[in-house]
Amino acid sequence: MIPLSHFMLISAGLFCIGLFAVLTRRNAIQVLIGIEFMINAAVLNFVAFGKYDKISGGGQMFALFAIVLAAAGVAVALAIILNVYKYFKSIDPSKTNTLKD
Amino acid sequence: MNDLIPYISSSIRDSLASLNFFRAEISLVMGFLVVILSDLFFSKRYPQLSFILTLSTLVLVAYQSSGFLKMVSTPLFGGMIIMDHLAILFKLLFCLASILFVLFIRFNRAFQNHDKGFGDMYSILLAVHLGLNLMAMSANLLMVYLSLEMVSLGSYLMVGYLSAGQRQTEAAMKYALFGAVCSAIMLYGISLLYGFTGTLYLNDPAFLSGLHNIPRMASALALILVFIGIAFKLSLVPLHFWSPDVYEGAPTPVTAFLSTAPKIAGFAVLIKFLEIFYDPESKALSSSILDLNFVLAFLAILSMLLGNFVAIWQNNVKRMLAYSSIGHTGFMLMGLFIFSASGFKAIIFYMTVYVIMNMAAFLIVDEIEEKTGKQYINEYKGLGKKNSLLMISLLIVLVSLTGLPPTVGFTAKFLVFSTALEAYNLSGLPILMIMIITASLSTIVSLFYYFKVPLNAFLRETSGPVQISTRSPKVYMGVFLAFLLLLLIIFPALLEHII
Repeated sequence: MIPLSHFMLISAGLFCIGLFAVLTRRNAIQVLIGIEFMINAAVLNFVAFGKYDKISGGGQMFALFAIVLAAAGVAVALAIILNVYKYFKSIDPSKTNTLKD
Repeated sequence: MNDLIPYISSSIRDSLASLNFFRAEISLVMGFLVVILSDLFFSKRYPQLSFILTLSTLVLVAYQSSGFLKMVSTPLFGGMIIMDHLAILFKLLFCLASILFVLFIRFNRAFQNHDKGFGDMYSILLAVHLGLNLMAMSANLLMVYLSLEMVSLGSYLMVGYLSAGQRQTEAAMKYALFGAVCSAIMLYGISLLYGFTGTLYLNDPAFLSGLHNIPRMASALALILVFIGIAFKLSLVPLHFWSPDVYEGAPTPVTAFLSTAPKIAGFAVLIKFLEIFYDPESKALSSSILDLNFVLAFLAILSMLLGNFVAIWQNNVKRMLAYSSIGHTGFMLMGLFIFSASGFKAIIFYMTVYVIMNMAAFLIVDEIEEKTGKQYINEYKGLGKKNSLLMISLLIVLVSLTGLPPTVGFTAKFLVFSTALEAYNLSGLPILMIMIITASLSTIVSLFYYFKVPLNAFLRETSGPVQISTRSPKVYMGVFLAFLLLLLIIFPALLEHII
C-alpha cells in the first residue's frame, strides 16, 4: 500500500508547480492552468485523506465539489478572458494595465 | 456501505426538519428561477418585470429572515450550517445592501441602455445573495468553500457584466484571476486542515485538538493558507492589490455592492474561524498555534495605514473610495478582539452604517459621473454652487465616512473604539494599544482626502459648472440615505433595538 506521505508530497509538488506557473506565466490561460494545478493538488489531498474517513466520507464529497467548482470557475474566467482579448488583442496580464496608481 | 443504512432515516428526518428554518434561502432559489424565466419569456413585453420580482424576493427574504431574529443557535442539516442571532443579523444586512444595489442598477444609465438589459444581473445578484447567506451561516469547511465560491463567481460576472471598454474587462480579468488563485490557495489549506483534524466541522472538538496534536508549523501553515482566502474577500492589506483596480474599473453600482456585501460576509466567515480559538475564561482569542491577536492587530494596522495614506494621492473618486474602504476594513477588524455580545453589537452597527454610507457615496458619485462625466476630484470644482442639495448630501456622507459628528459614522466609530479599548484592558497587549492609536491617527489622515471633494466643490471656482437636475431617483436615494445618517445619530435606538 502506498503510504499517505507520498500522496502529500505529490500534492505539495503539484501545488508548488501551479503557484510557480501562476507567478511566472505571461498568458492568462496558462495562469488558469496553473490555478487548475493548485486545485487538483488539494483534490488529491482530499481523496487521500478521505480514505481514512469512511463514516462521513467528507474528503470524497469535498473532492467532487471542488472539481465541479473548478470547472465553473474556469468557464467564467475564460469568458472574461475572451472579452479582454476583444479589447486588448492580447491576453498577457502584464500588458493589460490601463488601471493603475 | 451497509453500516450506514441505519442512519438514513434519521438524517432525512433531520434535513426535513431543517427546511423549516431554511425558508429565506428557499425563496431566494425560487426567486432566482422565476427571475431567469421571466427575463427569458417576458422581458420584451414587461421590461420592468425582473426588477419588480427581484425587489419583492429580497423584501420577502428580509421579512422571513427577521422572523428568526431572536433565535438561539441551532445546527441545521446535520451541522453543516448553524443559524444564530449573529447570522440573522448578517443576513438582514445583506438584504439591505442587495435592495440598495437593485435600486441602484435600476436607475443606472449604463445598465438601462445596455442591450443585454439588467435581467441577468438580477438573477446573478440573487445567486450571490444565496451564497452570502450561506457564508454567514456555514459551520463546515465544505459549506464555507462552496458559499465563498458562489459569491466569488457571481462577483466576477458582475464586474465583467457590461464589458464596455478596456477598463471594465481588465478589472474583471484581474479580479477573476487573482480571486481564483486565492481560492485555490484556500482550498489547499482546507485540505490540509481536513487531513490534520479528520473533520470538516468547525465546531467539532476534534478540530481544535487535531490542530494542537500536530507540529505547530504545519497547523499554522494550514491556517494561514485558509486565512489568505478570507483576507482576499476582505481585501486586507497584503491581499488588497485587486481592490483599487477592480473598484475603479467595475460599473459603479457593482463597485458599491462589492465594497459592502461580500466584505461583510468575509467578516462573518472570519468570525466563524476565530470562534474556534475563543477562550471563554479570558474572554479573548488564544491559541498556541498562531498568535492570533498579534496577527489580526498587525493586519488591521497595516490596512488602516495603507488604505488611508494611499487614498490621499488618489484623484479618481472611485479609486479614493476603494482605498478608503481598505482602511475601513482594517478599522472593522478592531471590533473582532472581543467575542462578546457587545463586541458583535459594535461591529454590526459599524457594518450597517458602512453599508449605508458607502452605497450613498457611490450613488452620488455615479450620478455626478453620469450627468457631467466628471470622475476626478479636481474636476468637481464649482459643482457645489449649482447643485447644493446633492453636494451637501455628499458632504454629509463624507463626514460620516470620516467618523465625525453630527452623523452616525461617529457613533459607529465610537462603539468600535470602545470595544477595542475594552479588549486592551482585558488582555493588556501592547499591540492592541498601537492599533488603537493607529486607528485614531488614520481617522485624522482620512480628513485630508475626504474633504478634498467638498473643498473643490464648494470653495474653488471654475468656469461653467454644470447643473444637475435634482429630479432623478438616484438623487432622491442619495439624499434619503444622507438624511438617514443624520437621523440615526439622534435615534441610534432605531438600529440598536434590532441588534
